[in-house]
This record gives sequence, C-alpha cells and structure tokens, in this order.
Amino acid sequence: MRTSHERGIAEVTITVESTIKFPYKRSLGPVIGPFMTALAEQRFIAIRSGSRVICPPLEWDPETAAELPRDFVDVGPAGTVCTWSWVSRPTEQHPLDRPFAFALIKLDGADTALTHVVDVESIDQMSTGMRVAPRWRAERLGHITDVEAFVPGEEAITVNGGVPGEPVTMMSYDASITYKIPVSDNTIKAHEATAQGRLVGLKCPVCERIYARDRGFCPIDTVELTDDHEVELPQRGVVTSYTIITPVQYPGQTETEPFSRVMVLIDEIDVVMMYQPLVDVPVEDVRIGMRVAVVWASEAEKADAGRPGNLVGWMPTGEPDNTDPSLANRIM
Amino acid sequence: MSRTRNDDIAVIGWSVSPMERHTAKSETQMLLEVVSGAVDDAGITRADVDFTCAGSCDYVAGVPFSFVQNTDAIGAWPPKSDSHVEMDGAWALYESWVRLLLGDMDIALAMGSGRSSTSDPAILYPMEMDPFYLAPLGADHANLSAMQARTLIDSGMLTERQMAEIAVRTRRDAKSNPLAQVSGDFDVEELLAADYVNAPLRLHDMPPITDGACAVVIARADKARELCENPVWITGFAHYTELHNPGMRDLRSSTAATLAAKAAGVDEAPIEVAELQASFTHEEPLLVEAMGLGPEVSVNPSGGPLAANPIMATGLVRVVEAARQIRVHGRHRTLAHSSSGPCLQQNLVCIMEGD
Ligand SMILES: [Zn+2]
Repeated sequence: MRTSHERGIAEVTITVESTIKFPYKRSLGPVIGPFMTALAEQRFIAIRSGSRVICPPLEWDPETAAELPRDFVDVGPAGTVCTWSWVSRPTEQHPLDRPFAFALIKLDGADTALTHVVDVESIDQMSTGMRVAPRWRAERLGHITDVEAFVPGEEAITVNGGVPGEPVTMMSYDASITYKIPVSDNTIKAHEATAQGRLVGLKCPVCERIYARDRGFCPIDTVELTDDHEVELPQRGVVTSYTIITPVQYPGQTETEPFSRVMVLIDEIDVVMMYQPLVDVPVEDVRIGMRVAVVWASEAEKADAGRPGNLVGWMPTGEPDNTDPSLANRIM
Repeated sequence: MSRTRNDDIAVIGWSVSPMERHTAKSETQMLLEVVSGAVDDAGITRADVDFTCAGSCDYVAGVPFSFVQNTDAIGAWPPKSDSHVEMDGAWALYESWVRLLLGDMDIALAMGSGRSSTSDPAILYPMEMDPFYLAPLGADHANLSAMQARTLIDSGMLTERQMAEIAVRTRRDAKSNPLAQVSGDFDVEELLAADYVNAPLRLHDMPPITDGACAVVIARADKARELCENPVWITGFAHYTELHNPGMRDLRSSTAATLAAKAAGVDEAPIEVAELQASFTHEEPLLVEAMGLGPEVSVNPSGGPLAANPIMATGLVRVVEAARQIRVHGRHRTLAHSSSGPCLQQNLVCIMEGD
C-alpha cells in the first residue's frame, strides 16, 4: 500500500505578490578587500594561519579567533573538487542560467575549500577529485562572481591579462525575494471600506479600544477581532503632532521635496492615526491643533492601478485650531 | 533523581500548530493560537508568564521587524519582559531557560514561528549565508547540504539507498503523528527511481515546506510542582557553533553537535528517544554518530523534520516531541536537538527527564 497526504494545499486564498529588494553595499575590510582586489586582477590569494593556508581568507584564526597577520600568499588558479552538488534548475541568483554544479574547490596551495560553481554540460562530467580552473569574467569588479565559473582542466581562462587596478574596498550585493503573502479577511474588508469612502475600525469587546480595520487582534486582551467588531469612525480630527521629512534618495524613494506626516486624533473617539499625509498644505503651515478631514481618491485616481490606497490624506477644514496644550501628548 | 533545588527548571506545557503546506494565517495568528494552547496546557494565563522569548526570521516573514507584530500574541500589557532571537524557537527556549536560572522569575514562555510557504527556499536561504563569499553565488541550504551528503557518500559512510531507507522509516513513523505533513508507506526502490532535486539529494531526502508555530512553557521547580503533576525536567541544555563556511570544516562530522551533546550530559545516563533536527536524510546518521547515540535510541519517532519542517519552529517542535515521549509515553530520559546554519553549523541539545 502506498499513501501520502499533504495538508492544506487545497485551501483557496487571495495572495498579494510583493518583491523586496535588498541593495546591500558592504565595506570589505583589510582581508576580504585584498582578496576581491586580486580577483579583479585574475588572481587568488589566501591568508596564512599558523601552518595552514586559508582560502578564501579570513581576518581571524578559525581555531583561536586571534587576529591573523596580513600574510597573504598566492594560491591556484587551478584546484581540486572536494565535493559537489548538481543544480538542475538555476534561480536568478545563480551565476549561470543553465544547469551547473556547486562545488567546494581546494585551490592548489590552499588547505581549505572555496565554494563556487562549475560549468559543465551535464552531471556526467562531474566527479569528486576532478581538476578545475577558473574562467574569468571580462568585466571584473572585485566580486566573488569575477570568476564566471570553474571549468574542467588545469588552465585558467583569462581575459585582457591581469592588469592591477585600484584596491577594491566595497562590494554590492543586490538580492531580492518575491513573496506571495495571503491577504487576511480583515485587510480585504479594510480595503473595501476605503473604496466606499468609509473610515472603519475594529472595537475590542473586552477593553473597547478601537484598532485599525486590518489589525485583527486586541494585543492587550489577545482577542481576535473580526467583522462583528467593526465600527464606523468619524472622518474629521485634529493634528496632534507632525514631522517634516527631507527625503534622502535611497532606492525606492519617490519624494524629492520636503513633505510632512501628521498624527491625527479622530473626533469623538480615542483613536490616533499615525503618519498620515496632508493634502495641499505647505510644510511651513503644518501645526499642532490644525483641524482636518479625510480626502478620498477621485474616481480617476481609483482607476490608477499604481495607487497604494483610496485614502489620499487629510485636508484642513478651515475651522479654528484646537488650542488644548495636552494635544501634543497624543501621538499614539 | 530527587528534585529539591529550585534551580531545576521543567517544561510544564506546550502547543504545536497544524503543520501545513500553505496557511492563510499570519505568523501572529498562528502564535496567538499556540500561546493560548500552551498556557492552557500549563494551567495558567498569559498574565502568569514572567518572560517571553520568540524565535522568527524577517527574511522568512518578508516583513521588517515582523517580531514586533508577533508580540500581539503574548498579551504584552501591562508590559512584559520580552526578548527575540533571529533563530529557531529552540534557541528562544534556551534564552528563556537561562533567564529563569537568574532566579527572579518563575515562568517563561518560548515560541517559534515561520510561514516559509510565501517564498522560494532556494531564493530565501542564501540570505543567511556569508554575504561576501557565499550569498552572492546564490548558495542555498539545499545545495550546501547536498555537498555534505556527497562527502559522506564519497567517504563510504553512507549510501543513497540508506538515505532512502531513512526517508521510508521516518514517513512510516509519521503516520502515528497527527501533526505530520508528509507520512505514509513508501518503497525504497520507488524513491530511488525518482530524479535528483539537488544531486545527490532527491525529494525524499529533503524536508517539506511547512507553515507552523510552536510554544513551550517552562517554570522553576517550586512553581512547576505547584502547577503540574508530571513536569518534564530539563537536566541539560547547551549549544555550540563552528565555522560558518562549509569549505573550512570537516563535513564528515559535526564537532558542534558532539560538544553540545556532551555539555548537555548525553553520556551521563541512557537516552531512550532522540528527536533530531535532521532536515535532510543524511544528517540523521551524522548526528547520531556525532552525539554518541547508540542503536538502542529511538530516533525521530514523530517523523522529524522530514515529516514537517516549520522553519524557525522545527527545533522547538523537537523539544515538544521529546517532552511528549516522557509525559505521554512514559519514557524517562529523552534528547531534543536543533540546528541552524549551513551543513549543521550550530547545534543545540536539550536533555529532559521525568520524575
Ligand atoms: Zn482589548
């Protein structure tokens, strides 16, 4: 008999796909820097640790954690495969876009193994103990992928000779991960409400605090909040605090001029909405006590698929300011 | 062994979520349920818990500071003494145990949660690797593990057939585990006829992708006695790490696992059951040998991580399964193991005993 089961696969759920990019820039330091510089020059260097030769080099003795003297030694370029695995379906993160092998490669003269890839046409050409040499990339940056791949044989495949350049001190590593996140029922309901021009929350049946419609729990009482707990919120309030942000042009930042984010205490109930945008208010006019009302997206704006939501922000009502000095304490 | 010192600490309650290929629940929702389950099991409320510690990973969640949202599950008002590790929940339990050893608190709750179904493990796992030498190659957990498996095979320590036999045994054992995701009766020849995923690993050598969470309540001796009729005593708890880069280690063994087992007292008395975080078939015999476990020890009767692998909770589930062997199945002394990092880099061992 043969039975198997996997739970949960059949459940139908709305998911939203999002890709998070991680554009890391890292300084390399006094040991990895020279190693990467050598790669740009189509050379491998290792570091001496007592009687051992360690490649890729480390700053510290792997046995004692003592800082190692910067005693570098050339190794390779050819080496021996100590072990390997076969990748039949490469991902976009891999250096090659066709099936290849990962391998631990002990470069000639080194006592430890470098992890890299071997470019062969099929798994049949891979074996433990085989000899490999690097195929260098034409455009080298001082990066582990300056070696395009190792290939069978003794001879390195070099490009443009090995011209020494500037020392490499930084490296980029641009990773990205795509997630398919299930969308909770509360999030769907929150979205539906704003599409209808309604501001709604969820009221805890125990402590009666009101939370954002997509929150799902009262964290105080650890009570799950659902449709039964929905309450309508007034669409007017008062600014209790604010910040003016001067945008730094990090990846993904679309703002170029200073802009404000305000905390809005909603009328009649004890709810503060945090980091709300103001509409058509110059940053020099933003102040505590300003009376504001919700601005919803127009039909044309709603049709723009790129819009993050239907609540555009808050606009002054023109009413006199609230001058209660304790307002400034209400930021949450 | 007599229990007279209040420094002794016992497991007094736990809860494990359903193990699912895809859950529609958020990590916070999963945690809400297992924390409720664990405090119920211990006969207490959240208000009785003095210290909480969670194990989870932002890269898995796809949300920065995801552990902040997860505190919604612990009832942190009035404020609680709380901590978090970007590690499996087994390490959260270790921190909780150390915290209780200080003596000023009586009850702690450790949890672990992961919803790894939302992304591709081959893309996700390089993020835990060395950012200079490994991650930019897209070197992932499965490929590095596959290289360790080949090292064992090349050394004559293991065959692909023996690996398939381990998969058959764990899947069969998992049939009696209501929480198992992968279970059933399989044939070694059929498994070996399948294509490789990452040669020399086939699908049966690898853990399933699982969403899940787990929570465990521990207490100091006096409180444990007061609350619980059959506390499960933690008699040894240790973890060790070795070099991150697999190319700089002897992959035929795991020194860190050997040291952790010794420090936890593995050889002080017989072990009856070992629940090991052997996420790949070849890791099981490697760990059994590294920890000095004899043939009399029953290994992963729950099916282990090959039956369900809720990453960030897989190790904590091992603690629960080893504790269950004492509380439910009447064993006297069991061992739980957790691991983290490529090719068993970090290893944790928790040894437990009944009265
Ligand atoms: Zn409440």
